[in-house]
Amino acid sequence: MSLHYTLSVIKGPKVTIPIPKRKFSEAEESTSSPDKSPVLWTDMARWFGEDIRSIIDNIKGVPFQDVEEIRLRVGQPLMVRTSDQDLFLNRDGEVTSPEKAYFAIPEDLACALERMTHSSLYAAEEDLKQGFITLPGGNRVGVTGEAVVVQGKIQTLKHVSGLNVRIAREIKGQGLKILPLLIGTDGRFCHTLLISPPRAGKTTLLRDLIRLLSNGVPKIGLNGQTVGVVDERGELAGMWQGVPTYNLGYRTDVLDGCPKASGMNMIVRSMAPQVVAMDELGHTDDVTAIMDALRTGVRILSTAHASSLEEALNRPTLARLMEQRVFERLVVLSRKHGPGTIEGVYDLKTGRVL
Amino acid sequence: MLLIGCVALIAGCGSLGLWLAHRIKLRPVELRGCLMALALLDTEIVWGATPLPEAFGIVKERTDRPWQGYFAELQERLQRGESASIAWKETILTQKNNFCLKEEDWQVIGDVGKGLGRSDSREQHKQLELVQRQIALMKDQAGLWSDKQAKMWSYLGFLCGIAGVLILI
Repeated sequence: MSLHYTLSVIKGPKVTIPIPKRKFSEAEESTSSPDKSPVLWTDMARWFGEDIRSIIDNIKGVPFQDVEEIRLRVGQPLMVRTSDQDLFLNRDGEVTSPEKAYFAIPEDLACALERMTHSSLYAAEEDLKQGFITLPGGNRVGVTGEAVVVQGKIQTLKHVSGLNVRIAREIKGQGLKILPLLIGTDGRFCHTLLISPPRAGKTTLLRDLIRLLSNGVPKIGLNGQTVGVVDERGELAGMWQGVPTYNLGYRTDVLDGCPKASGMNMIVRSMAPQVVAMDELGHTDDVTAIMDALRTGVRILSTAHASSLEEALNRPTLARLMEQRVFERLVVLSRKHGPGTIEGVYDLKTGRVL
Repeated sequence: MLLIGCVALIAGCGSLGLWLAHRIKLRPVELRGCLMALALLDTEIVWGATPLPEAFGIVKERTDRPWQGYFAELQERLQRGESASIAWKETILTQKNNFCLKEEDWQVIGDVGKGLGRSDSREQHKQLELVQRQIALMKDQAGLWSDKQAKMWSYLGFLCGIAGVLILI
């Protein structure tokens, strides 16, 4: 195991760290106050080269709070995606038709990638192999380009052709609606899997559930539980140099940047969690590690890509977990009424809709 | 009065010689400092996969002046969003005067910036190792050269002073 994985513990409220407190409040405000939009746009603009930065700095009439993605594709117009439409921007930062928009050149993408990695491509090596990098603050940037393959394994991506900045959101209280359904008759948290197609709010809901479980919800008689988070992509806690951007609760330990399979074993042994949470199951190693973790008595909370139970059953890795009846609850999300729409919560033991 | 003038001239020329000798002696010391800094940077990149701004911060803490100032400026530039290669080149230009290194030394040190942060850790290690080897060679040569030169300048200063006195008298 590489030595650079950082084991970080989110400290309780008594410990005064000025940076995270400021950041938590910023994140909370970011979803609520529209007058913050220019500041948030400027903050985002710093990740791009001169041309794109000036466009983003001049954006008017597009509230940052509505934006879900910023997309740069070589030779294609600069695009900003909100929950319901795609907006193309011209050189002056105005919304325009695709033909009149600013067309991204390879230098724009190379410059953005250099800034996003702090001129340290080697530090994002492992992430790039999986096609993304994570910015401080938890925003994830999808990267496409030409894959360099050695002996069947992706070494890195070169000639980057597309960047997709996905803006992370922290919406509190969403998890509270479904949390009572995820508690079993014995008062214990059930093994839960959240599934949805991309951009439907899985990670946001997972973050909210982690915080609620960690802090406890006296209203529904749920005591705070120790939660171990294996944050392989650095997206859940938005960890930056050991300091989390997002508030994941008083009793949460975060293992940042560590592969889920080995991270699960590590955190179970080292931090004795009651619940282990992780994002995006998909690898066969993850499944083996979950099966192993189950024998230690921890509860599992995870997400996966699939738009329905049937689709999940068709994915070999997930099907194996379903066959073994690992998960007790399945939460299906969609974008029907905006991101985070809860389609249904299923009891996988009985097959009932809760 | 004449005596005071003679003593002042000899002392003046002598201290100039000693100052030059001191600067010459500093070159191998600074090259050694550079070697150490590059070794630390290499460790941070290969073992820690530490991003450059943070790595420069660590190197800054662990090196002595004038390299401390050099890496502090680099860290600041990178945090402002400059690319590593430009920052490395610009920092050399602004910090050069704080060092006693020769132009040929800066050419080799400047090579570090060319591919810095632009490849995977294995490539970074290779590049840093190459520069380290070149600097180690220069340091050995500079050690021998500086001993001779420093001795020469420390004598030459006083001798020039005496010669001046003799001519003037």
